[in-house]
Amino acid sequence: MEKSCEQIEKLLVDYADGELSPSESSGVAKHLSQCERCTVTLKALQRSLELAGIVWADGLEEIRGVAVSQTRTAGRFKWFRYTAVAASILLVTGISILWLTTARPQQAEVTLAEIEKDIEESGRAARLLAAAELLAGCPDTQKFVKSQYCYIVETYPQTPAAAQARLRIR
Amino acid sequence: MSETNREVAGAGGRAGGRSSQSVLFDIYIAEVDRLRRIAAGMGLGAADAEDALQDVSVKALRQQRKCKSREEAVGWLTKVTVNRCLMHHRRRKRFSRSAAEIIKRRTENTVEPAGTDDRAIAAEELEIVRQTLSELDDSLLTIMVLRYFCGLNSTEIGQTLELSASAVRSRLREGRMILAKRLMERGIEP
Repeated sequence: MEKSCEQIEKLLVDYADGELSPSESSGVAKHLSQCERCTVTLKALQRSLELAGIVWADGLEEIRGVAVSQTRTAGRFKWFRYTAVAASILLVTGISILWLTTARPQQAEVTLAEIEKDIEESGRAARLLAAAELLAGCPDTQKFVKSQYCYIVETYPQTPAAAQARLRIR
Repeated sequence: MSETNREVAGAGGRAGGRSSQSVLFDIYIAEVDRLRRIAAGMGLGAADAEDALQDVSVKALRQQRKCKSREEAVGWLTKVTVNRCLMHHRRRKRFSRSAAEIIKRRTENTVEPAGTDDRAIAAEELEIVRQTLSELDDSLLTIMVLRYFCGLNSTEIGQTLELSASAVRSRLREGRMILAKRLMERGIEP
């Protein structure tokens, strides 16, 4: 017996996903060859999934970009708990840089971009250090934590956090 | 998800002899990109996604319960990630980037950009879908993401979310039809 559009519509998602039995699938295909309305619905199902994939992929690209730029490890922790620590380090770094740029004009002039870079790097290093400190309290993490310290020292060698990390490695 | 089952206590060889916590954490590291897909599919921004995944990593590290197999461990991580993402996106707006921004980023990375008219139509359609995704019920969006963006089948999704495979299929149908109908309201060429 021929199925109605309403019955076919209930099968369209499974048809598009290849989840129907061969006999059901051929029944739907036969109906589609004669029905413009159901064909449009199928097309909309396929198109909307394609567009959803674009939205999801865009989000993933953003997340991956941040993950790669911020850290090369996966075991990081909430940083907002350590905002106070990071802010203190930033403050000290900021004041030092300000002092270097204002009170010691005889030295090579530091650009605003360099100051921003230093502050940003100090912040990142402080976050990583704070995460490593928390992780150090968990079992079986010594190797991982040490690699975190080494990473901070190698990547952000001029930061206060790197100085702390060097002490921890020793 | 369909990898050969292995005892998690000795998963991956490299973890042999170590505690179940660190093994679960190792699996977390191995699977973090899959978990990122969940966060992206659920519409979290980069910062929220990283926050959610940090929560998951801490939970993986502190998890005392032993998983019988790698498959079970991945299922547990998937479930925890879904729950964390739901918590995060309830606090914030999801899929915050507009269709125009998405298209701009895509065209910047494409050698041959589409014609202006095509791009306008795509932008309108993309905005409809983005908006619909952001309004979609959690129970529908989660299942769609796991099925179509993470590649899990209905049975695997059912096991992860403690639903029957038929309930998963039913929700998939509902979610897909909502998206399609919103697109059809705009008018789609046969």
